[in-house]
Amino acid sequence: MSEETIAPAMWEKLDRSASETEVIATPSLTYWQDVRKRLWANKPAVVSIGFIVLLILAAIFGPIFSPFSYSDQNLKLANLPPVFEPYRVTDSSGASTRFFLNASNFNLYQVSEGGQVEEIIRGERKDMLKKRQAFKFGDQAVTLDYSSLPAKLLNADGSVLRPEGLQWNMTYLFGTDQLGRDVLVRQMIGARISLTVAFVATLVNFFIGIFYGGIAGYVGGKTDAVMMRIVEIISTIPLTLYVILLMVVLDSGLISIVVAIGSVFWVDMARMVRGQILMLKSQDYVAAARTMGAGTGRILTKHLLPNSVGPILVTLTMLIPSAIFIESFMSFIGLGVTPPLASWGTLTSEAVETLRAYPHQLFFPAAAISLTMFAFNFLGDGLRDALDPRLRK
Amino acid sequence: MATYVIQRLGLMLLTLFAIVTLTFFLMHAVPGGPFVSERMLAPEIEASLNAKFGLSDPIWLQYLHYLRGIAMFDLGPSFKYPGVSVNQMIADGLPVTLRLGLLAVICVVALGVPMGIVAALNRNKWPDTGVMLLATMGVAIPSYVIATVLLYVFALKLGWVPTFGLDDWRGYILPVLALAGFWISFVARLSRSSLLETFEQDYMTTARAKGLRPGQVLFKHGLRNSLIPVVTVLGPVVANLVTGSFVIEQIFALPGIGRHFVLSITNRDYTAIMGITIFYAALLMVMILIVDLLYLWLDPRIKLSGQSA
Repeated sequence: MSEETIAPAMWEKLDRSASETEVIATPSLTYWQDVRKRLWANKPAVVSIGFIVLLILAAIFGPIFSPFSYSDQNLKLANLPPVFEPYRVTDSSGASTRFFLNASNFNLYQVSEGGQVEEIIRGERKDMLKKRQAFKFGDQAVTLDYSSLPAKLLNADGSVLRPEGLQWNMTYLFGTDQLGRDVLVRQMIGARISLTVAFVATLVNFFIGIFYGGIAGYVGGKTDAVMMRIVEIISTIPLTLYVILLMVVLDSGLISIVVAIGSVFWVDMARMVRGQILMLKSQDYVAAARTMGAGTGRILTKHLLPNSVGPILVTLTMLIPSAIFIESFMSFIGLGVTPPLASWGTLTSEAVETLRAYPHQLFFPAAAISLTMFAFNFLGDGLRDALDPRLRK
Repeated sequence: MATYVIQRLGLMLLTLFAIVTLTFFLMHAVPGGPFVSERMLAPEIEASLNAKFGLSDPIWLQYLHYLRGIAMFDLGPSFKYPGVSVNQMIADGLPVTLRLGLLAVICVVALGVPMGIVAALNRNKWPDTGVMLLATMGVAIPSYVIATVLLYVFALKLGWVPTFGLDDWRGYILPVLALAGFWISFVARLSRSSLLETFEQDYMTTARAKGLRPGQVLFKHGLRNSLIPVVTVLGPVVANLVTGSFVIEQIFALPGIGRHFVLSITNRDYTAIMGITIFYAALLMVMILIVDLLYLWLDPRIKLSGQSA
């Protein structure tokens, strides 16, 4: 066995005051700072917040800056696609015309070099029997042949005219609908209506739910039992049916939808608030506040509700997509906003009418609803995780 | 058990009474009457029509009449189709709606649960990602959008299934899928997370340690315990699938109750709206009760707490 020698300096006593055992390395965070940190670390939630903010901005400002109005019809330029294949015909004098063919209604539309739609091109008389129509561009003749689908354009010598590739519709970025209205601006108006309905209805739910649940939870006893029995009865009623009934009674329109959705879906909120209040009211700080002479109102608004903000926020975020859902559902079955106003539901149902000929019209409203639902769901999940103190790292 | 059932039935009757009352007074709050139309009827004719349908009685008498009708399962005549009773409309549509709803429930269980299992077993690998992507889409996209997209792709473009009607079994595929889409996704997500939680439990380790085959571990110990939350949501699922069908019936032009309901809304056929609402509500409550009772029977732990409550 060898002996290890330890330098005498190692046996010196450490200076106690210099020890760093009691120093907390990470900065101390308040609850909300912590929540914010966790929320920002959640990528889908952050992307969703970005999407929702963009959507809200587009809904507020989009229609103001759009050159079109959501209600102006232009039947000559109806059902235009957002993307088309332009053709070019040059006559002997060198003047060239660009146009595209709408393969579903067999019309030709003149377009500029930049992709602006200019006007519908008038052709010669249609030959209904042969399913042909002749068009004149200066001294050049082009025949539209739709006897066999897809329709094709023929030169004077019978050869097929070739398109110049794809081009985006620069006048109507999303195309036009069956009445020649700009789909983009209607989409933004739809977002405006759908989001307004969702936010206002959720707010109404929020106030009724907080009021009802707060009273039931705080007062407790017999009042609570009766109030909760009522909630139990309401929650067994199929609520969608009641929204429909209310809509039938109130007649369609923006305000009725808000009233109908707002007055029916507060039950979950009330239950949740009651549970929170029941849990919190037995806490010591409530007793302390009461000893110091705080009244019921003060305890509720200053102590109990602020402490249940987290779960309330999560429930709210989850209520918004279901309100959007119900609104679009109502509009879809014809109980929504009245035309020419549009919501995502009415836009979808209008698009379904023309599904056979113009399937692309379904894309934008369907995508808008679905993406918004995604965003609110992700945001709700993210908020729930961020607000849960057990997940604190 | 018996007291529990009686309690539930009592609550159900109370709820139904509330629904009938609410529906009746809501529908009577609508301005105008069924015979007020653009074609001005002679006042005598209107009066006699009102008398025939009991509309000139004071409202409480009408209400009592209606209640008596409901108690005898008579929902009254339709206002728009003379000679057709609301009962008849429901009897016409019920088989279609029930068949769709039950097929959709079967789909939810038969597709949702296996999807969840596959995802949980392959956690963070491509089957999991695929299933979760599909499930997230299913939860976020409204059923009528799913229905129209399915209709466009499979019926119009590919022509694999008919666009409407239920003449053969292929006609059922799209409506059932569209109807069940949301809940398949929901159940897949739920069973995945619940199964993953079960995998963490000690008894799973024990089962593996004592040398059971992986299949036995999964089916005997894992699944049985992790499916309890899935069974819990089945009540609302059944209820939602049966009411959720009215848009689907509308899109696929299926002659179910949902279509009658939407039609009577557009026709403003008030008695039909009232009758179908009440019938729907009753149907849903009975369904939820049946599922809850099944649940009691399936899970002995709940039975005990149900009795003590």
